[in-house]
Amino acid sequence: MSDRIVSIIRALIFIVLALALCGVIFSIAGYSATGMFQAIIDGAFFRNNALTHALRWGMPLFITAVGVAISFRAGYFNIGAQGQFYMGAICAAFAADWLNGLPAAIVIPVCFLAGTTGGALWSLWPGLLRLKSGADEVITTLMGNFLAGLLLVYVTSGPLKDPSGSGQQASSTPLDAAYRISTSAGLSPVIIAIAALVGISMWLLVNRTAYGVLSGLAGRNATMVNWQGAKLVNIGLASFIISGALAGLAGTVELLGPNGRLASGFLPAHGFTAILIALVANLSITGIAIVAFFFGGLASAALYLPVIAGLPATAIEIINASIALFITAKSGVIDRLVRWRKGR
Amino acid sequence: MHDIIIAILRSGTPLIYVTLAAVIAQRAGIWHLGLEGLMIVGACATILTIVATGSVFIALCVAIVLCVLMSILFWFVVEKLKANQIIAGLGLTGLGLGGTAFAVEAIFGTQAAVSAEFGLPRIGPMFGSYGVLSILVVLMPVCVIFMWVLLRRTRFGLRLAASGEHPFAARSVGVRTDLMRLAALMIGGVLCAIGGAELAAGSLQIFSQNMTAGRGFMAFTAAIFGAGQPIGATLAAVFFAVVGAAGIRAQLVFGDRVPHDLLLGLPYIATIFGIWLSAKLRGGTKAVTGFGELRDS
Amino acid sequence: MVDGDTIVLQCRDISVHYGDVVALSDLSVAFDRGKIHAVVGQNGAGKTTFARAVAGLVSAQNGQILIDGKAIPPGNVSGARQAGVELVHQSFALPPSFSVAETMQFGAQNRAVYSRKGLEKRWQKHLDALDVKVSAGQRIRDLPVETQQSVEIARALVTKARVLILDEPTAVLSPEGTAKLFERVRRLQEIGVTVILILHKIREVLAIADTVTVLRGGLLVEGPIDTSGIDAARLSELIIGPDLRVVDEDDRAALTGSAAVAHTTAMKEAADGPPVLDVRSLSTRVDPDGPALDTVDLTIAAGEIVGVAGVEGNGQRTLVRAISALADVSAGTIELDGVTMTDAAMKARRLAGLRVIPFERNVEGLSLSSTLWQNWSIRMLLERSILAFIQPAELRKRCNDALDIWDVRYDNVSQLAGSLSGGNAQKVILAREMDDQARLIIAAQPTRGLDIGATSFVWDSLRKAKHRGCGILFISSDLDEIMDVCDRVVVMLSGRIVEAFEPPYDLKKIGAAMTGLSK
Repeated sequence: MSDRIVSIIRALIFIVLALALCGVIFSIAGYSATGMFQAIIDGAFFRNNALTHALRWGMPLFITAVGVAISFRAGYFNIGAQGQFYMGAICAAFAADWLNGLPAAIVIPVCFLAGTTGGALWSLWPGLLRLKSGADEVITTLMGNFLAGLLLVYVTSGPLKDPSGSGQQASSTPLDAAYRISTSAGLSPVIIAIAALVGISMWLLVNRTAYGVLSGLAGRNATMVNWQGAKLVNIGLASFIISGALAGLAGTVELLGPNGRLASGFLPAHGFTAILIALVANLSITGIAIVAFFFGGLASAALYLPVIAGLPATAIEIINASIALFITAKSGVIDRLVRWRKGR
Repeated sequence: MHDIIIAILRSGTPLIYVTLAAVIAQRAGIWHLGLEGLMIVGACATILTIVATGSVFIALCVAIVLCVLMSILFWFVVEKLKANQIIAGLGLTGLGLGGTAFAVEAIFGTQAAVSAEFGLPRIGPMFGSYGVLSILVVLMPVCVIFMWVLLRRTRFGLRLAASGEHPFAARSVGVRTDLMRLAALMIGGVLCAIGGAELAAGSLQIFSQNMTAGRGFMAFTAAIFGAGQPIGATLAAVFFAVVGAAGIRAQLVFGDRVPHDLLLGLPYIATIFGIWLSAKLRGGTKAVTGFGELRDS
Repeated sequence: MVDGDTIVLQCRDISVHYGDVVALSDLSVAFDRGKIHAVVGQNGAGKTTFARAVAGLVSAQNGQILIDGKAIPPGNVSGARQAGVELVHQSFALPPSFSVAETMQFGAQNRAVYSRKGLEKRWQKHLDALDVKVSAGQRIRDLPVETQQSVEIARALVTKARVLILDEPTAVLSPEGTAKLFERVRRLQEIGVTVILILHKIREVLAIADTVTVLRGGLLVEGPIDTSGIDAARLSELIIGPDLRVVDEDDRAALTGSAAVAHTTAMKEAADGPPVLDVRSLSTRVDPDGPALDTVDLTIAAGEIVGVAGVEGNGQRTLVRAISALADVSAGTIELDGVTMTDAAMKARRLAGLRVIPFERNVEGLSLSSTLWQNWSIRMLLERSILAFIQPAELRKRCNDALDIWDVRYDNVSQLAGSLSGGNAQKVILAREMDDQARLIIAAQPTRGLDIGATSFVWDSLRKAKHRGCGILFISSDLDEIMDVCDRVVVMLSGRIVEAFEPPYDLKKIGAAMTGLSK
């Protein structure tokens, strides 16, 4: 049995364990665990248009998750995807605001440029702090998430505030329909093309360039790669920048696509879900494409649960968190079991 | 002047309790990013139990039991299943944040904040304006000193530190490193429960979603900044509390001239500064590195 | 046969497996009270496993260990310590940030809250009584290796130790340090401690031990035998065994550490052209991995093997790092094949033919959780642009061919490097670093931890490379090996090259230079 199949089996076993934990929590809270899972599966994959919804939510998650995988592969726990996603959206929104009135053929590319650059820069400073000073990137990127969240609140209630807006959630002025790359449904050829482009280019980068092999080796044993004479700082910075740029790109897609405006605190679980996707897929780009679809389904179920089934949407958060708790486990028991079968 | 000190004590005390939890976990060799989740469970359990039973004592007990159970779960996952500490810790945090929101929604049917009629006992009017502080604020220095003695002046502390720094050395004098880590995490669970209780029931008597707002991660940073020393880490936590209090004060002074959302970010910036400075001072924090094989061996 | 009452430690049929690997099988042996016992054997013979099984660090799958006739629970360190067994590890088990006093305390029985002063006073007494010259307040990381070893021995004696096992204590010591250690061991014997020394040099066995026990391949070959009744030749035969193809007498002597004078025939070959390596008055800043170099001069001609002897931590690592563009050079020059490379990046040095077999195979040499082909191809990948297009299938094919040439035993090139045995893993590194374009090969501890077959394979490979005209810088902490393999030996002490030797070598003189006694 190949190592890949072993790792897939292992991931599945731990996901089942995580779901069992969720079932316990649901039961304690007084819900029927089976009913809850039933509703979630219905919401994710079996209601009307469920697959379209899963794709709509899966695309941006895919883009961000690929970025996360790039930095995790190189050995850096850049868990600031959420902040980089917000910064991408904020920068793109500013670009759209400044250029408002110009033709879409200019505005849209500039928005994408601004969004990816914003995300990349928001990932660059933790990268520099890590690689030049050794400051742990887990904390700096986490703090970056909080700061970007506050900045989003400030921007949507300050500089870009929608004067006509009301209600509890501050938001920016909606974009002109000409600048949108999809309707609120969130699926369009442009978005699919962007996701495909990201997938193919990053697959090539990881699997068909020296960078791919070297960053993977550096992530698993940086000392060895250093002794071989590689410039770890360059590999590391490139990984930080790419992962931030992709998260920023996803933010731009969400802004110009389904959302059409900035809202304070929008999609708060995006970054964390992307990290999960990357981990469940064991950092493989093709794996991420499949896993992102499933988590896209779960994300769409989070909207469906309270409305149709009358259940709390936070159930999805619990499922995601439980999977995170277990997904990196590498119990010797499973490996022994597999080896034992192989031995026979 | 007094109100500033009161503000710092109020915001600093929960942070210091959780910082002590981070310190003991770190000394045992666990990079504990689940503190945020434990803290919010402590906060939520305290308020909900006060609402349900009307007893502060029972509330504290429930909070402590829940946090210790979650700590044991975390220990099982990282020690027995060999999961990555960073990711599992973030998972625990997500479980705490999501679970508390879920619980509130399941019980009250809304995501709004829950308020209790009363909170922790206060130290009373004989202390003048300081009388509004809860007893847990007074208990805090005792706890800091206790942890210092435990970690720095007992054989248990030495064995705990050896389990983190050189597990093989610990094993070769007969120390069960896995049990030492369990002990460290359980003590940390108790401290997080107390920290969460003080946060929710110390002055506000309210629980709202995500009310910990990154304090668990700040505590983690304070422990790094203090290089695993209880006193140093406590001072770092006080520094974060002072920065937070200064931000709120600045709001009152400057009013609308400085956007208050950005002032709220000051503690986070202070945290980044803290981690950068401790890296500078000690030539880099090597402890947290990727999926490295070196950490496993 | 010995009388039952005099036996302090008895092992009955103990077997230890690690997964599929049998480290020790059905070992039955008994040691007398109050003597100094040696356990010898090559790497992989099961010596360390034996020591750890007795100390309770590994659990024997079957069999019994008895102290004074009483069985101790298997795999239980506390139980073994209570029975009076203490183990001093080869690479010490002391937390670097602890003070000496704290190190003592954490292994002790006393549970009370202590004050720092009281703690230091109490343990200073203990240290003084054992004649360990160290202040109890010092941090472990600030101590030289020899003192660390004394501290660990003192640590082992905080409780009433009856059986003290020292696992390869001489591996990190200079010959002088070894002599001092042996004096200490004799004093311990006088106060009634039974000492078991794990050794692998016959010379040392004959110098200190009362009895010797030989292990090979996890099996007991013979023992305990009184050392008065055995000579070096017979012992060497027992250690190496009948079925090894080592022919060369010098190699045999080097493998078992039985010669006092080695390399009697100089085999230096004529070198023409510029030296392969020319280092002139090279100084560096303090390196994270070791002391700074201080005006080091070193030339290596084509077809020459130059050995660097010295106690570990005297700048050998910094020297390698300086030549591989990892350490900060502050003065002096480095030339490779006549081209100045002082400030050149590793890539340029690689292209000029520099190859490095690093000190720690599993840390600096290989990524154990990466595949063989990734580990093998990294050198080539780094000679190109980082965005260069690669064909993994082609790399796998080439890796396959290269590993076959080097006789690596593996299933396929996509398996993880961590699944190979030590000898095979080292061959992967050799396949990567000893290609035809190699000019200067740095071999740092290339045989550490390898068994006899793999060790002589590495020696032969280096000799072949030498005959092809490569220059080789050979670094080892094993003097016998250096004297056997090298055409010239330099000795490093505190970041300086203090003395150079030509064959024939005298162990005593080189040993004296290592501790700075000769000047």
